[in-house]
Amino acid sequence: MSDHDIERVKTGIPGLDELIEGGFPRGDTILIAGKAGTGKSILATQFIYKGATEYNEPGVFVTLEEPPHLIKRNMIRFGMDLEKLVNEKKISIVDLSPSKEVTPVTIGEYPSFDLSGLEAIILNHVKKLGAKRVVLDTLSILAYKFRSRDILREEFFKLTANITRSGVTLLLTSEIPAQQGGLGVFDIEAFLASGVIVLYNEKISDTSRSRSIEVLKLRGSKHSSRIHSMRITDEGIRVWPGEISPGH
Amino acid sequence: MADKKTRKASTKKDEPAKIEVVLFKSDTCAFCPRAEEVVRRTIEDFGSDVFTLKVINVSENPEAAEEFGIFALPTVMIGGMSVTGIPEPDMLMKMVLGAKVMTNKKVVSK
Ligand SMILES: Nc1ncnc2c1ncn2[C@@H]1O[C@H](COP(=O)(O)OP(=O)(O)O)[C@@H](O)[C@H]1O
Ligand SMILES: [Mg+2]
Repeated sequence: MSDHDIERVKTGIPGLDELIEGGFPRGDTILIAGKAGTGKSILATQFIYKGATEYNEPGVFVTLEEPPHLIKRNMIRFGMDLEKLVNEKKISIVDLSPSKEVTPVTIGEYPSFDLSGLEAIILNHVKKLGAKRVVLDTLSILAYKFRSRDILREEFFKLTANITRSGVTLLLTSEIPAQQGGLGVFDIEAFLASGVIVLYNEKISDTSRSRSIEVLKLRGSKHSSRIHSMRITDEGIRVWPGEISPGH
Repeated sequence: MADKKTRKASTKKDEPAKIEVVLFKSDTCAFCPRAEEVVRRTIEDFGSDVFTLKVINVSENPEAAEEFGIFALPTVMIGGMSVTGIPEPDMLMKMVLGAKVMTNKKVVSK
């Protein structure tokens, strides 16, 4: 398939599609990396919300971190009513957050397991909705949950392949630890994904910070190689393709 | 769903309190058959009248995995604790004893 033939999935983030030739390549796995508070969860949720409301693409949001009621509360501030979409069966929010009280406490782990449980949970929702978009927020939690790194790597490759096999576009978020380079706690994040987007919220003076976004890589795309201004507005995340971030 | 069932099963008043052992497995999980063997044998060694074993196939019942937040298989769950991977019998024993202490405490405090 030539670059020309790649079908694009609109991101639902105003300004972002212009940086990446019209959207994410359909069926790809895209990593959204950034330090805490840079807007990864908002961006990922907006991708699901806009997919369902503007592009007729049902979506599944899998939360490993924040409980659904907090996600809904945060997003309603941007005029995005997730509850309504859940009721209309256009999206589902899969609660795998630690706040669930019935989740047993893990007291042992032997290096003989796979992630077919997580896979079955996600694919069940994808099937029920006919979902075209899936978000997993956040990958970093898995790295804390399981010690067996080699298994995790291998299993995560399998998992992402099995989710995207039928043309589902998958967004993974990954938290970059505060005092660290790289793209996350895994060290494999960049390999997993055919696209990597990094969010920043850098100090530009003693009293202010500035948000920005960078497309590090994207399969088969002539993407921008600049760092662009990004803001969290009353309508959610917006990117200014013509503005180069002052912090860089 | 599965939650209510398990809770009911383990708190029925007129029956002697049995310890419920839950094994989560799937159709594709390579380590699951071995894990099931280990669990069944350990339960027999311990005296099977004390236990009920419930096997949940996540391929058929993904809702149960979602409800309990089970990502990795095999996972064995006993009384609010779990182990992932093929468990060692010693570890299962520890969990069982832990669960027993809990049920005894409940009876005493009534
Ligand atoms: N209604 C809002 N208006 C402007 N900024 C907001 C609003 N809600 C959250 N934010 C900003 O977004 C940040 C959280 O974004 P989030 O996507 O949760 O970050 P993370 O990258 O950790 O997932 C907050 O720290 C805050 O700075
Ligand atoms: Mg987040």
